[in-house]
Amino acid sequence: MINYTLEELLAADMSRTFKDGELGFTGLATGKAAATYITNIPLAAMELAKRTHAPNLDIWLCGVYANADWSSLDRMPESEFEQEMMYLPCEAQEYDYPATPYAARGGEVSFGFGSGVQVDKEGNINSVCIGDCRRPKVALVGSIFLTEHMALFGREYIMMPHHERRNFVEKVDYISGVGFPGGRDGRAKLGLRGGGPAYIYTPRCIFSFDEAGKIYVKSIHPGVTKQEVIDNTGFDLGNLDNVPTTPPPTEEELRILREEVDPKGILLRMDHR
Amino acid sequence: MKERKIKLCGMEEAARYVENGMRIATGGFSVYQKPMAFVHELIRQKKKNLTLVGSTHSIDADMLIGAGCLSKIETSYVGLEKFGLAKNFRRAYEGGEIEVVHYSEMMAWDRFLAERERMPFYTVDFLGGSDILNKNPEIKPFRCPMTGRQMYAVPAANVDVAIVHVHAADQYGNALIQGRHMMPQSMNAAITRGCETVIVTAEKIISNEEIRAQAENTIVPAFKTTCVVHAPFGSHPTPTLLASRTDEGFFRYYADISGTKETFQRFLDRYIYGTKSFSEYLQFIGKEKLEELKRGI
Repeated sequence: MINYTLEELLAADMSRTFKDGELGFTGLATGKAAATYITNIPLAAMELAKRTHAPNLDIWLCGVYANADWSSLDRMPESEFEQEMMYLPCEAQEYDYPATPYAARGGEVSFGFGSGVQVDKEGNINSVCIGDCRRPKVALVGSIFLTEHMALFGREYIMMPHHERRNFVEKVDYISGVGFPGGRDGRAKLGLRGGGPAYIYTPRCIFSFDEAGKIYVKSIHPGVTKQEVIDNTGFDLGNLDNVPTTPPPTEEELRILREEVDPKGILLRMDHR
Repeated sequence: MKERKIKLCGMEEAARYVENGMRIATGGFSVYQKPMAFVHELIRQKKKNLTLVGSTHSIDADMLIGAGCLSKIETSYVGLEKFGLAKNFRRAYEGGEIEVVHYSEMMAWDRFLAERERMPFYTVDFLGGSDILNKNPEIKPFRCPMTGRQMYAVPAANVDVAIVHVHAADQYGNALIQGRHMMPQSMNAAITRGCETVIVTAEKIISNEEIRAQAENTIVPAFKTTCVVHAPFGSHPTPTLLASRTDEGFFRYYADISGTKETFQRFLDRYIYGTKSFSEYLQFIGKEKLEELKRGI
């Protein structure tokens, strides 16, 4: 029996969804839970994929740094544009903003990672407010780049560090990023060029969307019960009887993650090692 | 013979270009290279009913909101990144004291591109289904005359005054960008292009000869600049590339003291209303701290 962490489980599972030759995009999120889900797990997953089946996967950090070399870092940077970041070793560095309009607007970004305080059963996400946006009950930070992620990228991985009823709702209070309102047909009518949400990763399970654009539980993590997923999701999930368990990382995947991708433990915590 | 116009002036004079009710844009990005010395002066002069227009905001917006200078903000983000939420913004938005118009990040830059071209709008095709579109009557849907596809006209930034903080400028208003730079410095370029009134604050004033020696780095040429103000540490507590780092301790203090209206009022009374100028404010920060912020740069 191999020991692994939840973060390693998610990173390994995610890495298998990337294809060779794709372009992945992620920002530097701040705050421990957000940084783990939006930045660190995706980076570990992409680096793992590069070392297994996808050597031509290119990673763009903050839309600025292409294929950065992390080995020189002793901790993950927390600020995207602090002076030190300018010297992050990488292959290409975009100076002018929006650094990625040709890639984002041109549909060249294969996938990105986003999050919100709420996500709903249509895959819409909200990072603007709880309540009416004219006078909200709770003001959040704003849409930032999520609107573009969900509309222009080939697909989006929605990364939710918390999986509670208040995060997984029937209908979000504000649509910062558009999923599949009215299913895939409904989305097609909106004229969005990008693919929209493909997966939602949470500490309890992984969601995906079927051919009609309907959300379903793709797998439940080892040790999590079906009832737990139902109890902590604010919309109906249907019958979960045939939902598989999220496949654990292989010994080789864990070895690459721990020895090659993240030997200093700056992406994924090391307390289990 | 008439001499070339010297555009160097004091902060007090520069801030008078901003009149109550105007639309303004601050340069920099999020928590980086914000023209804070200028923001302080707007607060000291008790400006009212301003609209702040931009892509991502932090302490610049939060301080102006807490001091009652803004009635509206058009942005994709107001927060202090790793230092937490922008609490004056949050309080005012939840309390109905400020109108917030949400734009997404890239589109918020597009609005300055439209302004640069003197076009009334920028064309965006990626808004269908979003509340960015559905809750904003200023964005107008239209059919593309070429393809028949659904497009959206996003209004130009329409800014009256743009303010940027740079690491160096000359007395005629030539302002520099670093050859190797990042997004906050690009934003400084973007917001000045289309604006009629451009105010440059600079860490140091250098000679015209020094500008000429690196003309490729002049980002705001003199003809675009309305006035230039010498403002060392003028982005404090946000960093200025090649000049000073983030004052992390001060940012944490700010995140804490902006927690309630009462404590924030005490902050304003001491640091802004209680000082005549930004250099007086910097005395509170202290020489030792300021030197530390420059170390290793």
